[in-house]
Amino acid sequence: MASDEITRRAVIVSAALVPVAALAQAPSPPAAPASALSDAQLRLLAAFVDRIIPKDELGPSASECDVPVYINRSLADYLAAEKTAFVEGLEAMDAFARRSQARAFIDLPPEKRDLVLTAMENGAAEGFPNARGFFNRARRLTMEGMFGDPYYGGNKNFAGWDLIRYPGPRLATTADDQKMGVDIKPYHHSAYPTGGGASGEGHGH
Amino acid sequence: MAINLKLVDVAVVGLGAAGGVAVLPLARAGLKVAGIEAGTWMDPSKDFKPDEIHNNVRSLVTTVPKAKNEIPTFRTSPDAKARQAPAHPMMNAVGGTSIHYHAQSWRLKPWDFRTKSETIKRYGASLLPKGSTLEDWPVSYEELEPFYDIVEHEVGVSGKAGNIQGKLDPVGNVYEGPRQREYPMPPLRTCDFLDHMHKAARSLGWKPFHAPAAINSQPYRGRAACAYHGYCDRGGCHVRAKNSTCFTTIPDAQKTKNLTVFDGAQVTRIVADNNGKVTGVTYIREGQEYFQPAKVVLVSSYTYENTRLLLLSKSKAYPNGLSNNHGQVGKHYFGHWDAQAGVGVTALFPMDVNTWYGAMLSQGVVVDEWADDTFDHSGLGFIGGASLCTFMEKHPIAGASLPTFGRAPAWGSAWKKFVHENANRFTGAYLQTNSFPYENTYLDLDPEVKDPLGDPVCRVTSGPKENETRAATYAQNKMEEWFRAAGAIEVIQGQPSGPALSTHTYGGTRMGDSPENNVVDRWGMSHEAPNLGMLGGSVFGTSGARNPTLTMQALAWRTADHLVKNWKGIAG
Repeated sequence: MASDEITRRAVIVSAALVPVAALAQAPSPPAAPASALSDAQLRLLAAFVDRIIPKDELGPSASECDVPVYINRSLADYLAAEKTAFVEGLEAMDAFARRSQARAFIDLPPEKRDLVLTAMENGAAEGFPNARGFFNRARRLTMEGMFGDPYYGGNKNFAGWDLIRYPGPRLATTADDQKMGVDIKPYHHSAYPTGGGASGEGHGH
Repeated sequence: MAINLKLVDVAVVGLGAAGGVAVLPLARAGLKVAGIEAGTWMDPSKDFKPDEIHNNVRSLVTTVPKAKNEIPTFRTSPDAKARQAPAHPMMNAVGGTSIHYHAQSWRLKPWDFRTKSETIKRYGASLLPKGSTLEDWPVSYEELEPFYDIVEHEVGVSGKAGNIQGKLDPVGNVYEGPRQREYPMPPLRTCDFLDHMHKAARSLGWKPFHAPAAINSQPYRGRAACAYHGYCDRGGCHVRAKNSTCFTTIPDAQKTKNLTVFDGAQVTRIVADNNGKVTGVTYIREGQEYFQPAKVVLVSSYTYENTRLLLLSKSKAYPNGLSNNHGQVGKHYFGHWDAQAGVGVTALFPMDVNTWYGAMLSQGVVVDEWADDTFDHSGLGFIGGASLCTFMEKHPIAGASLPTFGRAPAWGSAWKKFVHENANRFTGAYLQTNSFPYENTYLDLDPEVKDPLGDPVCRVTSGPKENETRAATYAQNKMEEWFRAAGAIEVIQGQPSGPALSTHTYGGTRMGDSPENNVVDRWGMSHEAPNLGMLGGSVFGTSGARNPTLTMQALAWRTADHLVKNWKGIAG
């Protein structure tokens, strides 16, 4: 049976939660992952996102959740127009680290990396025009990669959603899913067949 | 060369919230209608997804080429250079913005239609907003009521009446104008957080109620009930429970065989003869130009495009743009002072609120005590106020992007700890401020920026407004009071600064009895071109403190009804 059929019927009867393989059709067959950034740029990006979302007792770091994969893929397709500016920002960050901390960004210990980021965030990074703009943009993309649907490459193992206790997209919710002060059981599913979670028929209409 | 098509009775330009409703009474009356829509049909199973990146981050439901190519420019004073905004607030599709809207379906208040005279009567003319071009509407609430009633039933609206023929019911909104009967469906489901806010409002002596919505709270006319999945915002409904016109009035009109939908067809000009009557519209579809002759033309695109299309349609009879011989096209434009104007309040609670799922503002609890003229404005220095709405539906990226209320840094491990605890503990409130037209705010054509066809885009000039700033600030204080009564431990108020481009826009082809100050008459028909009608927010003279769509639809139905009843006189 097509998952769409299951979906429609389930929703009409307002069932609580229907274990369909996927909540939506994929917009297109999963494309071969494109890369916008070089290996060195990816390492630099991973070092950046891991200061925004570090590994700690609450869970994995941004790079462990493939946030750089999300950003890299986005810059290769949907955000292609932004790629040049983004790469310039990354390189300016590294140059600023070398000037202010006398080392490449990835060679700095965590607390020194944080000094670099703080200077950028405050607009106090000397010789780094638009440091705050780049910082905010890169942080925003980190958020998208960490908390967006895993279909886009990030949020590996739904760790982003678990961090903020978002139970995950579903097709229908009951009043119980809207109760206050209860822990809703996480539903580890992407909105797409290829986005992660339990696999099933998915395609085929 | 344009291909000439067969004459139709009515050409409707734009099949969105308003045009998509007007086609039904026209088609039912046996008129042959061409519905000309720049966008295309969307497929609920393919185009609408529970995916924040698709809907909200990348705006893939709402961003389509035509709108993207015609983004208006904006400036805050006539001395400034207008700049193009990054995104357009409207969309093109069969169903238009009724696909992705939040579907709150309000009637305006009787006061909204006669704000000027009521203000003078109660407070004296000195309280009228300075520099405003406010007029009473030529239509009263009472005249519009039957059409509100029709549209609520044809489109399908869930809600609870607060005033049926003068009999008040405090479960509904007791401040609404009298209605002839109950809504066709009960309100959307309530839930813990909404009950909590409801109780807090009552503890303040206020009268909260559930918002009316064009979303099915139960199966309605063969369409499913809302499943509360939580991706209503900027997305379409995957089960057609949101009553977008592409699922309701447009297919109903098609069933009569009197409506033909031309999708992917971008109207470029409305043509008029030397006597000042319109003769049809020119459109481009897949690179080919067509001329669609029509006895009557109804323009129902978006506020910006309604004005632009008239200004672009110059002719011998209308050298300054169609229906603009009095210089009123583009005047009396204004945007709503809502979230898009910096108005809003955010709160942090000490407990999980679980507002992830739901139906956005439509599954909301509203307070109307501080809107319109519900309270005494003596000595306050402004008229109007705002409706206060608390609601459900929060997406994960937005949820993780909550303000830190000064309790944590914006990144790093301490921030992680903060979002882990609090992403599920904050919520926003949606405030809509009564907004009015002013001399310093208007639309015209941009002198420099053009679309790919070489036509100038719309230019928005929007100056500061003291009245709305005060009203919004006053209402934000009330919202903070409400959140505090509900136990919020932190509250942040917005900074009301006025709207730039907005999804709630009004005027430009205002409705009024005098052709000196208005483009269309009390029926929505042009004062100058007798067989041209305008539909949508562009005819509004005030905004009300609530979403405009249902009022657009009631007015659209009324204009169509007027056409049908006076067909020979108007089309002949």
